Parts: sequence; structure tokens; C-alpha cells
Amino acid sequence: MIENNTLLLGSLVTPLIGAIVALIFANSDRLQRSIGVLTGLIAWVFSVSLLVQVHDAGVQTYALGNWIPPYGIVLVADQLGALFAFMVTTIMIGGLLYTFRGHDKCMSYPAFIPLFLLMEVGLVGAMLTGDLFTLFVFMELMVLASVSLTAISDDQFGLEAALKYILISSMGTLFLLLGIASLYASFGTLNMAQIAQILLTGERPILAAASSLMLLCAFLLKSAVFPFHFWQPDFHTTAPTPISAMLSSIVVKVGVYGILRLVTLLFVKDAHIMEPWLSTLGIIGILFGSLGALRTYNAKRMLAYSTFAQIGFILVGIGWGGPLALVGAIVYAFNHAFIKSSLLMLMGVVASYTPTKSANFGDISGIGSRLPSAVGWLVLLGGLSLAGVPPFNGFISKLALIRGGVESGDWQNLIIMVGAGILTLMYMIRAWQRIFQQSPLPTTVQTKDEGDSLFAPLLLIVLCLLLGTIFTEPLIQLVSATVQQIQDPSVYISAVFPEGPGIMTR
Amino acid sequence: MIDLMFALAIGMLFGIGVFQLLRRDLIKAAIGFAILFSAINLFFVAVGAFDGDFAPYVSNVEAGLSTSDPLVQALILTAIVVSFGSFSLVLGFVNIISRRFDTVDSNDINKLKH
Repeated sequence: MIENNTLLLGSLVTPLIGAIVALIFANSDRLQRSIGVLTGLIAWVFSVSLLVQVHDAGVQTYALGNWIPPYGIVLVADQLGALFAFMVTTIMIGGLLYTFRGHDKCMSYPAFIPLFLLMEVGLVGAMLTGDLFTLFVFMELMVLASVSLTAISDDQFGLEAALKYILISSMGTLFLLLGIASLYASFGTLNMAQIAQILLTGERPILAAASSLMLLCAFLLKSAVFPFHFWQPDFHTTAPTPISAMLSSIVVKVGVYGILRLVTLLFVKDAHIMEPWLSTLGIIGILFGSLGALRTYNAKRMLAYSTFAQIGFILVGIGWGGPLALVGAIVYAFNHAFIKSSLLMLMGVVASYTPTKSANFGDISGIGSRLPSAVGWLVLLGGLSLAGVPPFNGFISKLALIRGGVESGDWQNLIIMVGAGILTLMYMIRAWQRIFQQSPLPTTVQTKDEGDSLFAPLLLIVLCLLLGTIFTEPLIQLVSATVQQIQDPSVYISAVFPEGPGIMTR
Repeated sequence: MIDLMFALAIGMLFGIGVFQLLRRDLIKAAIGFAILFSAINLFFVAVGAFDGDFAPYVSNVEAGLSTSDPLVQALILTAIVVSFGSFSLVLGFVNIISRRFDTVDSNDINKLKH
């Protein structure tokens, strides 16, 4: 029998219950927003205690309905899943807090908070499930919730971007489903641990090889990597501010998480075929994303392009594949979520002072002198952190990644990567100068007296600073332990099957 | 023979679905999406991991009869619900877009292009 740990269910079901309760109070906008923040906090407490327990006592599992694996659905929290779930719930609190004091019209719709919480269910669920089909269901839940939220955005282009994304993403989902069906047809199971176990023995039906490619493409599409990236800047720019902060920071990480699972658990023996591709796609992403961010006309769009580049950095780390490189990639993914969400929320705050709520440079150039002075400082801090200037957490993640590159000895990609890091500094500083250093043009720049609250981005920036200074050591240790664990798939497998492998008869 | 028929049907549905999804007309694209999902559901049923002709009751299993695979049916029921949800969402978007732009031709819906 496997142990059932209720914390797993707690961090998954709390946002679901919150969404339902928020729907009951659809008439009261203020109450709904309070329910949102409260639910986010409870889910955060669950995920923190889960992370602590996973760290102290090893992999935690929950067999839904006490159906033992491989027959039932099992939720598994190993260090990787628990760490990513912790990241998701923490950033989600930031998003929900922004919503609490936001002024966008769409935030007062009765469906806004329930959809937001359903997105959290999808994200946390995708990271904690140990069953491939459930992974598909959770990812689809996340996609549908985020698409609906973008479609109701105040931005007039939101609907168009949402339609564009849902058609592309559905194609990705279909291939994910096809890949899962192929794996099921080959092995007669959907349990990730069992599939990993069979694949470790070296059995390679042709359908399983095909499905590895389909799963990889589906995950690459979800995290907007080079050949599948074209929807991303539109979709992330037009979403309401808290949603675009979530999309650009944690929703793209679902794809990263899936790729990590593919190369460290499911297709360990084929990882050496995938990894050079991941590195190449990552390098292309870094260059295209950084240059796109330099050339664009809108501050939010610049940050969306920058996400495209930052995911490239993470993929290069995964592509190098050594233990240090994986530490670098996971630390990078973790830190990027904090920096990017706070920066996007800050741009949302800046945009909320303009009459049209637009973040076009034409509308916000020189607006800085009319904003609270804290905004300028926070954007500068966030920009320096994104570019990897010490003492922020961006520097820690860049350093960890460079150590991984030195270990792998892939000097060519390492040099391109470090060089492209300077582009990050260029576009962030340039945007900061245009917004906060230029003298305002009274004819073109009009401002409102009141904008969105600064509290949520402030909180996240403070977390960035803490991660870059006080909590660096624990974070690196935690991630190193995570990498040690995921490099040995038998830990995951034996947690799901404590009494030896599950036996399936064909 | 049946296997070949299934394979042909799935292949044809897949082809039609991809072709429709790439059309300029958004309604046709949405319907192509539904056809693609049906193709994958059919694939799921057709390739079920366990072959057999008897209903998967415990009594049949104990009697040693070769039972069919019950899991794929549960899976495609879920997949049908998911696909229905996304399909209706797409159609809802197309409905609003057709009113806002007075067209469903994706070439004319290009406000995002600057």
C-alpha cells in the first residue's frame, strides 16, 4: 500500500473549492476578491508544508479513492513537483493580490476570480499528478481558463489573441493526447512511474518513440519555444495585467516542467537525442527573443518577448543535461517566475495611469515623473535583476547556469548565452529610461490621478531581493537535492510502487 | 480487416481535420478542430491496450474470457467532455468576432498586425 498524504489533495482542491465558493458569491465583487486572496493563501500554506515534508521525508503520494497504482490515478509530489507547485502558489498570491486592488473593468466580472482560481487548479494539478491522462486534463483546464480570461480583457485585441491561441494550443493539446494514446497503446498503462520503468528496461515499441516526439512538441508549444512561439507576444500582451503576469511567469513553466519530466523520468535513455535539439532551440529563442524585445513598441510586449528569451536560457540549461546545468535551469525557472511576474505587474501599474491603459511607449514615455517615485525604482530593480546584475536573484540563476555550461564544456553556446545576456540589460535599461527618465511631453502624455496598487509587485520584488541575498544558500541546496533526486528515476518509481513493480498482463 | 478499416478511417478523419483547421474561414477551422478530436478519440478506442470480445465484468475475467479494455472508454468520455468544452469556447469566440469584425475570414481579422 502507498501512503496517502492529504497535503497533496489540499493544495489541489483548495483553489477548486475557492472557485466554487467565489461563484456562489457572484453578486459581491469585493467579497469575491477577498475569497480569491484567502484561497491563494491557504493553497500556499498547503504547498509550503508539502515542500517541507517532501524535503524531510521523501516523495509523497496520494492514491485517489484508494485505488492502488497502476489501476487508479495517483498524485505524486517529488522534489521537482513540490518545488514547482510552491512556485506556482507563491506567484498566484501576487496575482490575486493585484486583482484585489486592481481597477480593470474585467476584474469586476463575476467569472474573473473563479477562472483565475481554476487556472491555479490546472497549474498545481499538472505539476503534482503522476498520471499522464490527468496531466492532459489539468493542462487543458489551465489553457481554457487562461484563454477565457484573455478574451474578456479590457484590451480590445484580447479576443483576437485568445482565438489565435486557442486554435494553436488545441493543436498542441491534440498532439499531447495522441502521444498519450500511443504510450497507452504500447504499454497498457498511463502511470508515469510504470511507463518510466518499462522504458528503462530498454523496450522501444515504435509508437513509444513517436509519442516522445509528440509529447516534446506539445510541451514546447506550451512554453512558446522557437518554432511554436508566434502566438506568445500577442497573447501575453493583451491579457489583463495579473493574468499576463501569471502567463509569462508560471504558465510557460508547465512546459518546462513537462520537458524536465520527459528527459529525467520518462525518456531518460533517449535524452541524449533530445538534448542537443533543446540547446539549439534555446539559443535561437534567446537571440530572437532578445532582439524582438529590443525592437518592440510596447512595454508589456517587450517583456513577453523577453520571456521567450528567458525560456531559451532554461532550455539551454536542460539541453546541457549535466547535474550543475539542471540546477542552473531549475533555479533560473524559479527566479524568472518571480522577476517576470513582478515586472509585468509594474508595467500594468504604469499603464493603469494612462487613460487608455495602454503600455505603448508612445503613451507612457516620460510618464514616470507623474507616478509615485517608488515605481521607477522598482522597475529599475526588476530590470537589473532580470539582466542578472548582482546582488539580485537573476545573478544567482545566471551564475548557476554558467557553472552548468562550464561543466558541460559547450563553449560555443555558453558564449552566445552570456553575450545575449547583455541584450537583456540593454532593453530593460532603455525601457526604464524612456518611461522614467525622459521629460514628459504634456501634449501627448495624459495621466489619471489613481492607478493600480503597487503592493503586489512590491511584495514580489522584495521576494526577489530576499532570494538573491538571504535565501540563496537554501534555494541552491534545495534545487541541488532536487536534481540529485530527479537524476535517479528509481526514487520516483519506488515511491509509487513501494512493493516492487506493478504487473500488467497483456 | 477491421483494423485496416479503423486505420483508414482515422487517417482520413485526421487529414480532413487538419485541412479544415488550416482554412481561412474560422467556422470551418473550428469544425476541423472537432473532427480532429473525433479522430483522436477513435484512435484511442481502436488501439486499446487489451484485445478481447467480452464485456470487462469480473465474472468474465474470472471465467478466463478475453475481455475488452474498459479504460479507453472512460478516457475518451473525459476527452469528449474536454473537447466539447474547448469546441464551444472556440465557437463562442468566433461568434463574438464575427459580430465585431462583420466577417469570419481570418485574413480580415488582423487588428493585431501593426
